[in-house]
Amino acid sequence: MIEVRGLAKSFAAPAPTRDGGWRAWVRSRGKPAASAATSSVAPRIHAVRDVSFDAPNGRITGLLGPNGAGKTTTLRMLAALITPEAGTMRVDGIDVVARPREVLARMGVLSDSRGLYPRLTARENIVYYGALHGMEREAADARAQDLARMFEMTALLDRRAAGFSQGERMKTALVRALVHDPANIVLDEPTNGLDVLATRALRDSLRWLRSPEGGAKCIVFSTHIMQEVERLCDSVVVVAHGRTVATGTVPELLAETDERDFEEAFVKLAFVSERAGAGAAP
Amino acid sequence: MRRSIAAFWVVLRKELSDALRDRRTLATVVVSSVLMGPLVLLAISGLVASLESRAEQREVYLSGVAQAPTLRNFLERQTYVVKEAPADFEARLRRSTFSDPVVVVPADFEAALVRGDVPIVEIVSDSANQRSEASTARIERLLGGFSRERALLSLALRGVSAQLLEPMQIEDRDLASTQTRATRITGMLPYFVMMAVLYGALNAALDTTAGERERGSLEPLLMNPTERWALVAGKWGAVACVSVLIAILSCFSFLPGQWVLRSDTLAAMFQYGPREAALFIVILLPLAAALAAVLMAVAIRSRSFKEAQASSTIVVLAVSLLPLVNVFDLGGEAPWHLWAPALAQNTLMTRVLKGEALGMEQVLIPLAVCIALTSVGVWYVARELHRAAVK
Repeated sequence: MIEVRGLAKSFAAPAPTRDGGWRAWVRSRGKPAASAATSSVAPRIHAVRDVSFDAPNGRITGLLGPNGAGKTTTLRMLAALITPEAGTMRVDGIDVVARPREVLARMGVLSDSRGLYPRLTARENIVYYGALHGMEREAADARAQDLARMFEMTALLDRRAAGFSQGERMKTALVRALVHDPANIVLDEPTNGLDVLATRALRDSLRWLRSPEGGAKCIVFSTHIMQEVERLCDSVVVVAHGRTVATGTVPELLAETDERDFEEAFVKLAFVSERAGAGAAP
Repeated sequence: MRRSIAAFWVVLRKELSDALRDRRTLATVVVSSVLMGPLVLLAISGLVASLESRAEQREVYLSGVAQAPTLRNFLERQTYVVKEAPADFEARLRRSTFSDPVVVVPADFEAALVRGDVPIVEIVSDSANQRSEASTARIERLLGGFSRERALLSLALRGVSAQLLEPMQIEDRDLASTQTRATRITGMLPYFVMMAVLYGALNAALDTTAGERERGSLEPLLMNPTERWALVAGKWGAVACVSVLIAILSCFSFLPGQWVLRSDTLAAMFQYGPREAALFIVILLPLAAALAAVLMAVAIRSRSFKEAQASSTIVVLAVSLLPLVNVFDLGGEAPWHLWAPALAQNTLMTRVLKGEALGMEQVLIPLAVCIALTSVGVWYVARELHRAAVK
């Protein structure tokens, strides 16, 4: 179970190259007042302003939002990779900021970057992560075998990752994230780069993981693809401009926006929030 | 704690097998750092051998032999073979196709000698032509002998004692042992071993930091419940191991090189056996550890392997240039040499080659410096790891 409340994070905007660096520094030497003024209003990018959601066990929660809405930053905070400026995150009741390693032990994360080690085989890539989770090599290996069967990649296991296609890399990374059988699964745009068949296989696997036989996992996944959400998610969290703008099941969101097409409903929600966001920004 | 130590070993094992599978890079390092040293040693031994055979040949080249029968007579009495120099000897000396200095005798040499004038005899060599330069001193001594003999003869004719000309006698006493003399030639050996350590660490260090960032595998790696220090220490341990492995190969590669030298006098002077090789490795261990940490610390700031290569140039340059202080013998051994990494190890290895004992201080100071560098490097990488993963 994952609970997120009032999450916020901003980053210092990268200095524009033409005015940045030593030139700006040299120029500001002569004008101390000006330099003080620029540093006080140094632009910050508010990647996440206020994101909240609940993801219960045995359900698939979709984080839906346009590009740059703050999905990846939210998931990175959830994985204790960056520290939030405000808000709380709990995984199975454990605070992420206070006890990050306990949280990571209960979570399988497929992050935005999913690089493999090209000189290791898929199996070695997977078993390495299992070992880092404290698993015995044999146990990790057996688990890799099981998961490979589920994702139909048994033939890949003993090949080196160097020549893998996008889809093969993706599958390996996914199995790697699930090797320690985590109760909570967080996936950042997992269908990126997958073809139709692989996407279907992934959907089936996620449905199975959600079911009581599969362990009734708590699954959170971010996406910008409407169909994914419609086909898979038990509940949807719509994120735009760093804020949660709507939460509910697909029918609930349709009812809320008075639309029959989910895409229209999403545009309405995101667009309304955009205007609201633009109004609230200064 | 126990889990962290287990994680340390897991990371170490993985990074090590990963690095050892990078066959192409390893092969390049082995060829450039391990084979290079013995090859250069062989080339130098060839040069020494040619100098030796030249000295044995006892030949002198004169330009204008016919004009100086007295000089010729003197030289032949010293059992030298006197030869007429080729006409274009100047050009050939410059091109290094002629490797003996030439004595140029003026046309009126004999007449001037008889008149009691002082004829000018030139010894022509090219200081850029090393082999001709090496024989110059010998020729100078020889001509000096001729002058002295002439002087003594004319003094004797006037009834003056020869001892008046030489109120004191000069004798040489060389304090250097055979080994110390040999280090003048084998002094570059520690340098090659050091380069092996450096290039052994370089690729592995860059691959586990900047390479990991470039592949996008650092972010998922940090999503494991592993202590940061265990992760960084495991990576560092693997890099240091690869570096030490290359160092061991390099140190032992000079042993067979020595067999090839057997025919030479150089081989007799060159004291480098398994004991010296083992001492070299002990001296290099801390350096390998420190270099691994420092290179990783430099590379973790870079987003790509290429960028890391550029920024690690400064470390490579420092490690390559510092030992040269020793090689060129700038101002002899100074106490600060022990505080500079790479230079300190070079100094210690040179001492081993000279057959000198290593003092406590000489071992402890470089060790402390390397431990400090390692700690700072590992600490810095651990600190930067999370920032590096998301940027």
